[in-house]
Amino acid sequence: MVQTSNQPVTKLPPSTHEFADIIHRLEAGGSMLPDTPENLMQIIGIYKAYAVPMDFYWRDLLYIAERVFLNPLPFFKYFLPKEYLERHNHYAGDDADLRIWRGEATAHPELLAFIEKGETFKMPKLLHHWFHDRINMEFAEACMQAMLWHRHMYAPVNQFDPYLDSEEYKANAHKAIQAYFQGNPVMLGLYKLFPDMFLEQCRQLSYYANLGLFWEVMAPVFFEMSDIYDEGGFKGVPDAMNFLVNKIFAVAGRPIYHHVYIRGECYEIIPKSKGFTWLYEAALPYVEAVFYRTAPFRGTKSYNAQVRQVPDKQEDFHYGILYADVFPVGTAGIPPTLLMQDMLHFLPPYLVKYYKKHCRGEDDMLIQLGISFQRSMYNVTSAVIQALRTALLYPLDDPNPKHLQANREFFEAQLNRFCRPEYGMRDAAKLRDIQRQNYR
Amino acid sequence: MLSILIWLPILTAALIACLPKSIPAHSIRLGALIISGIVLLWNLFILFKFDIYNPGMQLQEYLPWNETLGLTYKLGVDGISIVLLILNSLLTWIAIYSSSQQTERPRLFYSLILLVSGGVAGAFLAENLLLFFLFYELELIPFYLLISIWGGQKRGYAAIKFLIYTAVSGALILATFLSVVWLTGSSTFNYDALVTQTLPPALQITLLLGIILGFGIKIPLVPLHTWLPDAYVEASAPVAILLGGVLAKLGTYGILRFGTALFPQAWSILAPSLATWGAVSAVYGAVVAIAQKDIKRMVAYSSIGHMGYILLAAAASTPLALVGAVAQMISHGIILGILFHLVGVVEAKVGTRELNVLNGLMNPIRGLPLTSALLVLGGMASAGIPGMMGFVAEFIVFQGSFSVFPIPTLMCIVSSALTAVYFVILINRTCFGKLDNNLAYYPKVVWHEKMPALILASVILFLGIQPTWLVRWIEPTTTVIATNIPALEKAVNPQLVLNPNKQHVPIIR
Repeated sequence: MVQTSNQPVTKLPPSTHEFADIIHRLEAGGSMLPDTPENLMQIIGIYKAYAVPMDFYWRDLLYIAERVFLNPLPFFKYFLPKEYLERHNHYAGDDADLRIWRGEATAHPELLAFIEKGETFKMPKLLHHWFHDRINMEFAEACMQAMLWHRHMYAPVNQFDPYLDSEEYKANAHKAIQAYFQGNPVMLGLYKLFPDMFLEQCRQLSYYANLGLFWEVMAPVFFEMSDIYDEGGFKGVPDAMNFLVNKIFAVAGRPIYHHVYIRGECYEIIPKSKGFTWLYEAALPYVEAVFYRTAPFRGTKSYNAQVRQVPDKQEDFHYGILYADVFPVGTAGIPPTLLMQDMLHFLPPYLVKYYKKHCRGEDDMLIQLGISFQRSMYNVTSAVIQALRTALLYPLDDPNPKHLQANREFFEAQLNRFCRPEYGMRDAAKLRDIQRQNYR
Repeated sequence: MLSILIWLPILTAALIACLPKSIPAHSIRLGALIISGIVLLWNLFILFKFDIYNPGMQLQEYLPWNETLGLTYKLGVDGISIVLLILNSLLTWIAIYSSSQQTERPRLFYSLILLVSGGVAGAFLAENLLLFFLFYELELIPFYLLISIWGGQKRGYAAIKFLIYTAVSGALILATFLSVVWLTGSSTFNYDALVTQTLPPALQITLLLGIILGFGIKIPLVPLHTWLPDAYVEASAPVAILLGGVLAKLGTYGILRFGTALFPQAWSILAPSLATWGAVSAVYGAVVAIAQKDIKRMVAYSSIGHMGYILLAAAASTPLALVGAVAQMISHGIILGILFHLVGVVEAKVGTRELNVLNGLMNPIRGLPLTSALLVLGGMASAGIPGMMGFVAEFIVFQGSFSVFPIPTLMCIVSSALTAVYFVILINRTCFGKLDNNLAYYPKVVWHEKMPALILASVILFLGIQPTWLVRWIEPTTTVIATNIPALEKAVNPQLVLNPNKQHVPIIR
């Protein structure tokens, strides 16, 4: 097990970085999020509320990638068949490859209850869908699209993305497309006319699979964290972060692939044998694309690209949850509004009680949980930063000051992503805000 | 029947003042609310007893009081006073409803509010000039106390300024009333006796100037207005509602009732100057409102602008213009009531009225969305957007005045357009934009804070769509007033007069 040291490092002079306090906390094995019981309660409660819709997201993402595939009229892609609701998670249940959560391998009971009744009452699926009394898969798709749009992340360690442009991938995709539209001259004719369009759709579906496989791991991780907290297991925020770091390493090698099932036959568009792994090909691109970058969302603010209100380079985009203003109006970051709506259904009672005590109680619970989510994602990002430091650099209690200095430079470089004044990142980043408990 | 409107609030005020201290504020508020509600219902009862085809005084009450002085307790109601009485009782109820349940010194506060209500009702009902003056002056001390005790930071200054100005106003009016009686040789202050008396034009002009200056301070007209921004801004929201919604109407009512009836020839002579004065007031109010950074002060200056329309219409004194003048009085009272209430809610929740600080209040989750929406509605009504009460009143004023005073009317139309400008500024900065995440921890607007604005908004929309419910009561009385004013001196453009041969035919149905 990886353990980050909680002992303060004293061998280096204090950092002069504008986030020096947070650098020192990271160097001491802590998180970007301050270690308070209130923060711990908020982030764990939100992990639980996040895990239930996530259990739907990963199942549906894989269903779309594997079964819906290139259906030109995918009206029912969010109507998850029983087979996928009962599909065993590889990290939960008795037959798990690596059992992270002690619970069931099939869909979470709270999710099944919600699919049946929603917040209203039992009625046909279609009516639940039209009334928006459902899990908002649009959020999951937006995350996938962010990953697809911000391609070429973490090159060269991320091999998944360049593979999508390889001849081998094109050949595999071609086979699957031909098989899928077999006996459909119209679609085959269109494919002949616009092969690149179909190929690009196929790449997108590969990212569906990528994200589905990523979240298949995260859902049981969050469920387990919630259970441990309920049993009184975590003593503080660093404990929760260390749990995440350990699980990241435990599942780092999980294969990332894209299989499509057409008329009972499996087409391996991205075979497992390619060796793409969860950490480098899914987790890191996901955090980069979704937590940091995403894209300026139409309708929230009129950005003027000519006066560089939008960064020239995609890598400088800063519209993710770490920058999001919870009010979706005229801000740099985009709040995950649909996810916030999804999480609202599954909040643990202690978090509901907590929110009722603050601000406007039930009336602005959505905003309060959005901010808790932001806190929890700063903690997840901290776990990723610590994991990267563990993988690429040195232990926090390394006796060599040069190694400690290298660690510090790594941490400072990470936090510099919240400091770019030329794009207003300094003001947009919520790192300062989450240091205050009364930021709700 | 009419006396109940005066004495029920005044006696309740006395009763509340004598209540033991142990009674909590919310109980006293509830008591005041119930009594003012009864007064409102009684007023509505009177409204439906009122014969709309009779232009004269109705439901009269008479008691000899001090015949030697010419003072009699003579009350009556006509088409002008009936709607103003409704406005008074409605806004009193709204003001009490919008007051805080934890008001400090509640016995005094609600006693004074009820005293004001009874006094205003008395002034609108009085058919004796001296009796009118007594009720008119009855407002002075309660309002002074309401501003100086429950006002803002500069309440002392504002209250003293208000006291001085309105005392001068009272002195001018008393002097004019006494002069009228002395110069006509009348032995009574009874209104109906004095309107039949005639004075030489020069004397009429002098006395009319006294009336205009006296009531002009109360309205107020530029440049007699400088007490208004301080008083309105420093007064608490319920008091500001009464100041703008009710007290100012005493001024316009006085001019219409006494200026036009007692001195018709002089009125006709001075009408062009008065129309210009009204137009200048309107433009001045609007232009100064645009420059304000405090939303309450902006609303206060908007009041000056809108009162200018009433003077223009009164000066034009065509039947249509006079209907418009009274309609504008009601419209102004209701719209100012809703705006002051909403500004009060914003200030109470956000803690500031500064235009440069307020932002994004339309935010549905952490802002004040309903308050903002109603503020937009109030602003639209004030700017004369069709479908709302403000449009009806302003349209009648402009339509009725244009034939007589085209240039001042055009100036007022420009002022109306400027109203839209400053309300767009107010709404754009206050309601729209991005709510500051670091500051947006405002308390919720609770139901009883929403209710007054919802009621007033309903009235604004209802009378905007169905204006006959407003003008049907007013029209017969104002038509008679218009016919009594000589038209010779007016520069009427006959081509612009609507129905020149049918001026007594009811205009709006």
